[in-house]
Amino acid sequence: MVLRELHTDGFRCLASLAFAPGRGVNVISGDNAQGKTSVLEAVLYAATSKSHRTNQETDLVQHGRPGFRIRVTAQRPGRDVAVDATWWHGEKRFKVNGVAQSRVSDILGKLPVVFFSPEDVELVRGTASIRRRFLDMAISQLEPPYLRALQQYRQALKQRNELLKQDRVTGDLLDAWDEQLVRHGTVMVRSRQGFGQELARFAAPAYDAIAAREGLELSYLPDIEVGEDYARVLLENRDRDRRYGLTNRGPHRDDFELTIEGRPARQFASQGQQRTAALALKLAELKLVRERIAEYPMLMLDDVLSELDTKRSSRLFNTIPEEAQCLLTTTDLTTSAVPSGLACSVFRIRNGALTPA
Amino acid sequence: MLFNTPAFEQLVDALRRLPGVGKRSAERLALHLLSAPGEEALSLSEAIVEARRRITRCSQCCNLTDRDPCAICAHPGRDHGLICVVEHPSGAMAIEKAGAYKGLYHVLHGALSPLEGIGPDELAIDALLRRISGTVREIIVATNATAEGEATALYLSRVIGQRFGTAVTRIAHGVPMGSGLEYADDATLAHALEGRKQL
Ligand SMILES: [Zn+2]
Repeated sequence: MVLRELHTDGFRCLASLAFAPGRGVNVISGDNAQGKTSVLEAVLYAATSKSHRTNQETDLVQHGRPGFRIRVTAQRPGRDVAVDATWWHGEKRFKVNGVAQSRVSDILGKLPVVFFSPEDVELVRGTASIRRRFLDMAISQLEPPYLRALQQYRQALKQRNELLKQDRVTGDLLDAWDEQLVRHGTVMVRSRQGFGQELARFAAPAYDAIAAREGLELSYLPDIEVGEDYARVLLENRDRDRRYGLTNRGPHRDDFELTIEGRPARQFASQGQQRTAALALKLAELKLVRERIAEYPMLMLDDVLSELDTKRSSRLFNTIPEEAQCLLTTTDLTTSAVPSGLACSVFRIRNGALTPA
Repeated sequence: MLFNTPAFEQLVDALRRLPGVGKRSAERLALHLLSAPGEEALSLSEAIVEARRRITRCSQCCNLTDRDPCAICAHPGRDHGLICVVEHPSGAMAIEKAGAYKGLYHVLHGALSPLEGIGPDELAIDALLRRISGTVREIIVATNATAEGEATALYLSRVIGQRFGTAVTRIAHGVPMGSGLEYADDATLAHALEGRKQL
């Protein structure tokens, strides 16, 4: 997808904004707290109905405003897409090409994006729940049935956990919820396994390209393997589940492991290696989505250059495919790292106002 | 000032408990009822009381009715060997409107939901089990395609299978996942009933 125009009103500190990036790399430069990240965040919100920084829409509203509106128009192969995302007086509304959408599942995938922020280093050094969130978000954009299975799984899990705490729990009642966990959990594990394998295939060369040395490996670690008798695992853990008042086994306990040069990256990698590995995961996602939907998602890189030395920065630019559109924020106006082969536009942001530089 | 008075807030709270009514619509409705002529609010409250007095649960299918047994249970032309189980009267109404189904209904008045404290005893499940006899050939479970509706369907198939061995089927195709029957169009519902499968 190619972002044509972004309009925002009442969003964060952004002045009522009409931003028309070019093809290729778009550098948004400005000092801290001028609104660089908010520009990317607005696009991310329109694409996924979520912000990477907060779960509360009230945090996204400009002080003294009743809400915000975002409009994104994008070019996709064979069709143009316009998404209107509004949060007004506490009500969230999404429209795709003018048609109101009642569910998040109908929005995801309409604007394919890949987003990297400095906090993504937590994908490498943080808890498993952060990696599961990445898997869920990335796969949900690609596979609508995955998102439905995930939502049904989460609901069934909440219900089962509540039932486990009650006195009147019976085997028949647990069976009814177990069956749902098995059905939807199996869909999740299969999708995660396929996605994990593809991601591993693309992540290794992405890491090599930026770090200029080999060594990143990724393996998906399902809590219950594909082909394992899922229903029996649940049955065998029933007594334990009742003692704990929660469901001990299942894809809500999945993880994936990253190793660099054979050692777990979480404990043993340097800070620079961890950052490069996190970036490699996002670049791998870019390639993976390209392979699945035959078009590049838009790549958003928030403050990535401050994380990398000059050599790694210029190697990063060399890995960005020519056909992919990229929005990149930086505090540094120099675009010397951008190779001459890439189309490049530069914008300055000050007090929430964007101007071409 | 009206807004902080207990009477106004009580009315808003009562309206908010209605399905599909949020805080803002509740306030709008409350303001309307209070500023409209007095008879309007009075006739609404009378209509509610009157409807509640006349309309009860059918002693057989538990659907809402103004006579017992209800028109469908009492109808000799309906197929009394088929029982279609729905969560709410709205589900039976939706299938009835689609016009393709000639059997009987059973309304559970909800679905299993430990989070809301709803177990088998809170639903009209015993009443359903009492209806199952040799003349009932098939129970069609048309609970919603939500986690709660699916769990309820599975639970019913277990309980009915263990005690009676009557065929239990589940409507299959077309009903949108995660949503209620009343949102499906007629053709979808007719197709869903057609494509039911063994549970
Ligand atoms: Zn009846």
